[in-house]
Amino acid sequence: MSAVSHLRFALPKGRLAQESLALLRQAGLPTPPRENGRRLVLPSSDGEMAVEYVLAKPWDVPIYVEYGAADLGICGLDVLREGRRNVHEPLLLPFGHCRLSLAGPASRRDTPLRYESQPRVATKYPRLTRDFFVRRGINAEVIALNGSVELGPMLGLADLIVDLVQTGSTLRANGLVEFRTILESQAVLIVNRAAYRLKATPVQRFLARIRSVVQAKGEGP
Amino acid sequence: MTVDYRIRPIPEGVADYFWEEAYRRQALVARLLELFRTWGYADVIPPTFEHAEVLAAQASPELRAEMYRFLDRDGSTLALRPEFTTPVARLVGTRLYDWPMPQRFCYAGSVFRYTEPQAGRQREFWQAGVELIGARSPEADAEILVLTAEALDRVGLRQAHIVLGQMRFLRGLLDHLALEPSQERALRWALERRSEPALAEFLAQTALSLHQRRVVERLPLLNGPDPRPILAEASDLCLNPDMEAALADLAAILDVLAGYGVLDRVDVDLTEIRDLGYYTGITFEALTPELGFPVASGGRYDELVRRFGPDAPAVGVAIGVDRVLLALRRSEGPGSRAASPRPVAPDRYVLTHGDPRALAQVQAWRRAGQRVQVEVNGRDLEAARGYARAVGISVLYEWRGDGFREIPVEGEAQ
Repeated sequence: MSAVSHLRFALPKGRLAQESLALLRQAGLPTPPRENGRRLVLPSSDGEMAVEYVLAKPWDVPIYVEYGAADLGICGLDVLREGRRNVHEPLLLPFGHCRLSLAGPASRRDTPLRYESQPRVATKYPRLTRDFFVRRGINAEVIALNGSVELGPMLGLADLIVDLVQTGSTLRANGLVEFRTILESQAVLIVNRAAYRLKATPVQRFLARIRSVVQAKGEGP
Repeated sequence: MTVDYRIRPIPEGVADYFWEEAYRRQALVARLLELFRTWGYADVIPPTFEHAEVLAAQASPELRAEMYRFLDRDGSTLALRPEFTTPVARLVGTRLYDWPMPQRFCYAGSVFRYTEPQAGRQREFWQAGVELIGARSPEADAEILVLTAEALDRVGLRQAHIVLGQMRFLRGLLDHLALEPSQERALRWALERRSEPALAEFLAQTALSLHQRRVVERLPLLNGPDPRPILAEASDLCLNPDMEAALADLAAILDVLAGYGVLDRVDVDLTEIRDLGYYTGITFEALTPELGFPVASGGRYDELVRRFGPDAPAVGVAIGVDRVLLALRRSEGPGSRAASPRPVAPDRYVLTHGDPRALAQVQAWRRAGQRVQVEVNGRDLEAARGYARAVGISVLYEWRGDGFREIPVEGEAQ
């Protein structure tokens, strides 16, 4: 092994990409110039550590990290909870805020959810959705979709949906309103359990850098 | 009923192992058992299935949920063994309780858990391990730790590291704090996930004295590769004799590990609280850089044997054979022999032409431990060459009346 500690980092493509890169840059870590290369190894400016970046689909980041294909990664809490991956999650990051909500047609009668009989619920989050209904004793039919969940009620595919909401404009445009928040989500830094031990020194160094940025932001104006 | 075996030859969660992969598996298990025996461990072969209530005696809720259960003819519920520790404890508790203690047992075989196949592990997967029953001393704990490090070393995982916890430290703290169940869950979750925000939230929402707060805040620091300073740090944080006793116990274990010269293979983690049901003292996992998952785990279980008979303290470890094999394959890199499995090639492939003198020579080689494969389909030299090429044999031997002649097999194996 080389003297410079080498960490592999799973960087999510898409929604969280830009802010993840900005955070790493603020932490004094080298970042890939553009979001295109698949695998890149970059040393930090002070030569203290080298980071190898792997670009991954957001839903795959927790899987990469659980299996140790990457030592660390950034993903949304929504994705992490849905996947139930066994990883460490030392730090919440100050971006990617959104909520996982139960929504339905604005025209829905204002009755408690528990009166529903076998509601059909379309979602990209079948596990969290099932848990939500099971805990209330409601036998929901969960319809797992890969996208455009908000079209479900309009097409007669589902009575309700569970989806990620940032501003609510997509819901409104489709005649939907939020009924419940299932999960408040934001970006989270995750670490492989074995790497946390076997690469303790570089991992802790990495965490310290990120922590200082996160804390500075939390206390800033 | 007809089953189309071409479409679904075997159910999900089981695997056929054959050729080199099966050979490696058997060889690994044999090496581990051989090592265990040199430490004085006696073989034990528990049944593949037994009463579900026995196997569930002190299993964690997760493990209970993962057991394969089925009905016996008389209506009682049976289960496939999900691990070996409980069957061995049952054997000692019900039948061997008056044999002089301690008793040492080693085992290897497959266990069954209804889980998603993951990290080299199917629903039927293999464990090899030891149980040391009837000893409560730090020396006994240390023996299991050293044996684990030695076993992983022997099989080729020289960078394996053991993370050692002592659950009585945290349990002592939790007893002292006497939290509401939901608060305790929150604290355990924060520690288990190493989540700083979750720990901060717990502290914000829980009424604690200043001193208690200081202890909880510093818990996440109580782990790392240098055990002694961690124990020193922890000794300032003890709130009751249980916590002190846990640290004294760990310190005594570390002394023995130092004596064996394996202290550098061990990390201490006082926040390790894997909920494994029967563990009561030290708990540990072995990690290796090739794999994101532990390759072995174990600990002390002083309350399990008494479920089946007279009280006896115990400690043990189970090595995950599948994960060790996967880690070894990773360490060899892609393109290694194991990556593209083949039958293990014989040392010699011979055409004897039925000559008794040739057969005598073949028998002599075999008795000396060589793998000798005799042509039994009547192939001539050319056909034998073709066969040898196809299966990856590089030299064949033909009997020429006064001895075997070595004939190289040209060309690449297919």
